[in-house]
Formats: sequence, C-alpha cells, structure tokens
Amino acid sequence: MNYFKKHMFDKYSLDRHFGKAPQEEPAQEENAAEINEDELFTFAEFDEKKSEVIAAPRYSYWKSVWKTFVSSKITIAVSILVIVVVAFAFIQPLISQFDPMKPKHPIEYEYHFLSPSWEHLFGTDGEGNEVFDVVWSGARNSLIVSLIATAIDMVIGIVIGAIWGFSKKMDKWMIEVYNVISNVPFLLLAMILAYVLRNKFDQFGEVGAFIPLIFTMTITEWVFVAYFIRTQVMIIRDREYNLASKCLGTSTWTMVTKNILPYLISVIMTYISRQVPALISYEVFLSYMGLGLDERHASLGRTISQYTSYMSGYPHLFWIPVLILALISISLYIVGQKLADAADPRTHR
Amino acid sequence: MSTTNNEREVILSVRHVDVAFDVGGKKKFKAVSDANFDIYRGETFALVGESGSGKTTLGRAVIRINPCSAGEIFFNGERISGKISRQQDRDVIRNIQMIFQDPAASLNERATIEYCISEGLYNFHLYKDNEERIAKVDKALEDVGLLPEHKSRYPHEFSGGQRQRVGIARAMIMEPQFIIADEPISALDVSIRAQVLNLMNKLKKEKNLTYLFIAHDLSVVRFIADRIAVIHLGKIVEIAESETLFKYPVHPYTVSLLSAVPMPDPIIEKQRESIVYTKEEDDPNASPREMREIRPGHFVYANDEDMVAFEERLKKLESYHAEQA
Repeated sequence: MNYFKKHMFDKYSLDRHFGKAPQEEPAQEENAAEINEDELFTFAEFDEKKSEVIAAPRYSYWKSVWKTFVSSKITIAVSILVIVVVAFAFIQPLISQFDPMKPKHPIEYEYHFLSPSWEHLFGTDGEGNEVFDVVWSGARNSLIVSLIATAIDMVIGIVIGAIWGFSKKMDKWMIEVYNVISNVPFLLLAMILAYVLRNKFDQFGEVGAFIPLIFTMTITEWVFVAYFIRTQVMIIRDREYNLASKCLGTSTWTMVTKNILPYLISVIMTYISRQVPALISYEVFLSYMGLGLDERHASLGRTISQYTSYMSGYPHLFWIPVLILALISISLYIVGQKLADAADPRTHR
Repeated sequence: MSTTNNEREVILSVRHVDVAFDVGGKKKFKAVSDANFDIYRGETFALVGESGSGKTTLGRAVIRINPCSAGEIFFNGERISGKISRQQDRDVIRNIQMIFQDPAASLNERATIEYCISEGLYNFHLYKDNEERIAKVDKALEDVGLLPEHKSRYPHEFSGGQRQRVGIARAMIMEPQFIIADEPISALDVSIRAQVLNLMNKLKKEKNLTYLFIAHDLSVVRFIADRIAVIHLGKIVEIAESETLFKYPVHPYTVSLLSAVPMPDPIIEKQRESIVYTKEEDDPNASPREMREIRPGHFVYANDEDMVAFEERLKKLESYHAEQA
C-alpha cells in the first residue's frame, strides 16, 4: 500500500513532475521493508511483434453476408416462401401439363366455374381448366421472362455503365443516347415491336415465343441500369484508393473489377430486387394489353385479362392470379432487399 | 539552380511548372505557377504551405496524376511531363511511388492486405511464381513492422498507424527510387506519428530513397527534411536548407509561417507574436519576380527591389545569430 502512497499528489511528486528539484527527500516510512516482494509490480517484457497482433477473428465478406442474412427470422420465412413459390411455378406445370390451346373440358358445363374446394384447389374457369394449373404455368412463364430480361439488362447495363462512369469522353455522347432512349414512349415502342416481331422466331420452337417479349423488355431498359451504374461508379471513381491504384499502374479494367464493382454489390442487389418484380409487372401489363406472349403460352397477365370479365360473377377467378402475382413480387422484393442489406458491410458485426 | 551543388546528383528537377484546372468554359484556375526546384538523390525535400497552397497538386503533377499545363519535369534527366511513351510511363510508375495522406481512404476496403500490397507486383509481373510474390509481400510487411499473418486481413481491421504502414509497404515493394509522401502523418494519431516518421527515415537509409515530403506541420518538417521549399498560393517563395530556413527566413510569408508555430513553453507561447502576411504587402505594379539565390543554396522569390530589402533583413538576422553565438 505504501507504493501508492508515494505517488499521491504531494509537494514532492508535483515538484518532480514540473521539473523542480525536490526540497528534501520525504522520510521513508519505517514499515516500508514489510512489503512482500511478490506484491510489487514487475516489469513486463515488451514484445513489439505482440503489439501488432490482431485478436479479432478473421473477417470473411461472404460469410458475414450469410450470417447477417440468416440472422433475421422474417428473412428466413420470406426466403422459404420465395423458394416454395418459385418451386411451385417451375414444378407444378410439369405435372399438370397445362396447355392453353387445349382446354380441359371446353364443353362439359358441369366442370365450369366450380368454386375452390379440396378437389379443385382454386376452382375452375369458363373452359373447365383448373385455375391452379393456369395460375402456376402463367407464373412460370412470367418468372422466366422477367428473370431472363433482368439478367440481360443487368449484364449489359453494368458493363456499359462501368465503362461509361469511367470514361469522360464516353460520358459526353452516352448522356445524349440516354436522353433519346429515355424519351421514347415505352408503350408505343412495345406495340410496334410486338407487331413487328410476332411469330418471327417460330423456328426456335418453344423458346421463340419468349424472344420478342424479352427483346421488348431489354431494348430500352438496359440504358436505365447503365445510367444508374454510371452514377454509382462516378461517386467512388475519384476516391483516394483508386488514385493509389492508378499510381501503382493498375489498368482500368482491373480497377473496375477489383476496386469499383465489389463496392457496388449492395446497390446492384438492391437494383435487382426492384428490377425482377418490376419486370414481372411489365410482363403482366404487356400480356394484359395483348402485346406479350402469344395465345399458345400461359401468362399471368393474359390470365388476369381473361378473368377480368368474370369479376362480377366469380370474383375469385380475378383475385387469385392477382394475389399470386403480388405474392411473387413482394416476396422476391423483400428477399432482394434483405440480401442487399446483408451485402452492405456496414451491417456486418 | 544546381550551380552550388554540382557534386550532388539531381534526381528530380521541376522547371517552370504550371498546373491549371478547368473551372468551366474557358476559365482556368492556376493551382501552381512557375514552380522551380531540384531534388538531389538521397535527400528529403519538404514542401510546406497552408491548405490550398498547391503543395499536393504539385506532388501529384510529379507522379502524373495532374497534368502540367506548362513547364517540364525531369526524372533522372528524362522528361516525364506531358506526353511520354508507354514504356516511360511504366518506368515512372515503378520508380516514383506515393504515400497518401489518409490511410483509411487510400486502401481498398474490399481487398485483403495481400492484394493491396501485391497490386503493383501484379501490374508489373515483378515475381516469378506465386511463392516469390508471397515471400516479397511477407518481406514488405516485415520491413514496416507488421506480421505475415496480416496478409489475409482487411484494411478496416487495422489501426490508423498500421494502415499507414501498409500504405508504405505497398509503395516500397515496387523498389522505387523516389517517394512522394503527401502529408503521410496528418491523418494519424499524435502518438503514432513519430513511429511512422522513424519508419520512413529507417527505410530511407536502408533503401537509399529520396523523399518529396509534403506537409503543413513545421515541427515535423524540421525533424525530417534536409531542405524545405515554402509554397504560398501556388508560388514557391523560398527554398533553403532546413536549418537555414528556420534561422534565416527572409521572405515575409516564411517569416509569418514560422511565427505561427506554437511553442511548448507556456511563457514563451504567451509572448509569441503571430505575424500576419497579406498579399497586399506586394505592390501589384512591381517588376516581375523570379527565384533568386540570396545565399548559396538559399533561394527566394523576389525582384530587384525585394532583393535589397531581403538582403538587409538577412544581414540583421546574421548579426543577431552571430551575437547569440
């Protein structure tokens, strides 16, 4: 205890602190000798290397993304919903073999407009088709179209946007291209393309029917993705670490792939999570207008458009496909948003 | 300017360099005008000035981030400003490296330390196989006092001082001759500034480096620099050996800059008088000024009239210091 007493702010220690010579040594207290040697502090060995060691566990980006993503119960629930819905959309039509050109019971009236029951889950429509089959095969085609269109939009948009954001020369004329394309009325373009391209790709068989619709949905949409990416690239393009890379002689391409795009994973995820539902709605809208998939292919938009006429008599025929559409869009959107949040390292702990 | 130092080899010489930026339309903003100086091999040349004086701009002009709008820069006798061949550009990158001000901003947060340090090696294929690259990275980490096990870590896991040492390792692995240190310790905690400065001095001795040290902290500059150039509003106003500059400041801006240094002694600090320098002291109709040698190795930005006044001031200072001694 005497050890601490010595270091109190008495005159002696204060004098010493301010560099004055002490007046006189304070008398050592007599019981000082009683201190046990083990009680005293001893010098710790100083190891410079040890002070550099980082004790925190190793950080891995994708592991942290996964951990953050599964940490919320709502996210897990919605993810399961998405998996179920998507699995239904892709598996159920294989079992039902639904074909819009071959109605199940076109003239047997006893099978028409049955209410939902265990035997007919969503009931039947005016042609005796199971609404359950119609909705899921429509959902499958809508999903295929929107996923492929999103993939094409994003790939073209990201590649062009990344170069666009980097090159000042390209920016000058690309911004004009953007202005022109974004001012073309979309519906007008969609109508013209639908009529021009109809039945032009029949030699590709099953796939051929999707091409005009996907083409319509990507011909202008990529420019919006590119513009978005361009802005994001411009925001981080002139940060100091990019300048440092430039001083180390890093090529523009490596800068884009190693310095810029990893920073954009989160915003790209956000964009995709909005784009997929938006393109599903697009597909539904175009099919509803009669500009989408042809009669030979089921589609949620066409189904909704057909069932609108039953609105007064059998409203469930209209509401079931609309609800399925909402379910797919919203759950995809939520999962996308959660994934985007998890991809943002600021949320990592 | 190399008249007095013929025996020393000039590594970098800056001749009448202007750096201008477009401010929209035909307007240009001159950030640096008519910069002239030589840097000798093996010395630490400091560039000091207040914020916005153009010191970083000038440093970046040397490393070719900012293009020079006039004048020329020579490195080892070869012109490196303006249009140069691709091979020359790569030589410049290999031989001139930069240490950045903010270690948090100048490292790629999404890349491991291994990638950050090997980036230059990848770009120039300075390794035979992967093993040699890793050995080089380990050596670079060891040189700056970090551990090889830090390779797989991300920049955000490090402290500020550690990050700045990663920045230094990244520059050193290229084995450059010349390093531009752009306020390397301004963003660091006071307690680790000395650590980084000592490391820089140690590496300079070991690898025979030359530094262009950009700073605004005069006490740091006095500690590390052999020669100092004072820059004000894009113009270099005085160049001298560092002790000469502190003892015999002649340009009014240098005098005011030195008078602004706080003193650690509270009694002297209370008596310290800051001399404020205003541009109005200069007569706008005065004859054009240029860098003139007032004493061997001591240059000042002046015209004929200024030289008379500066000479007088210098004589006063010399007699004062003679008295003191």
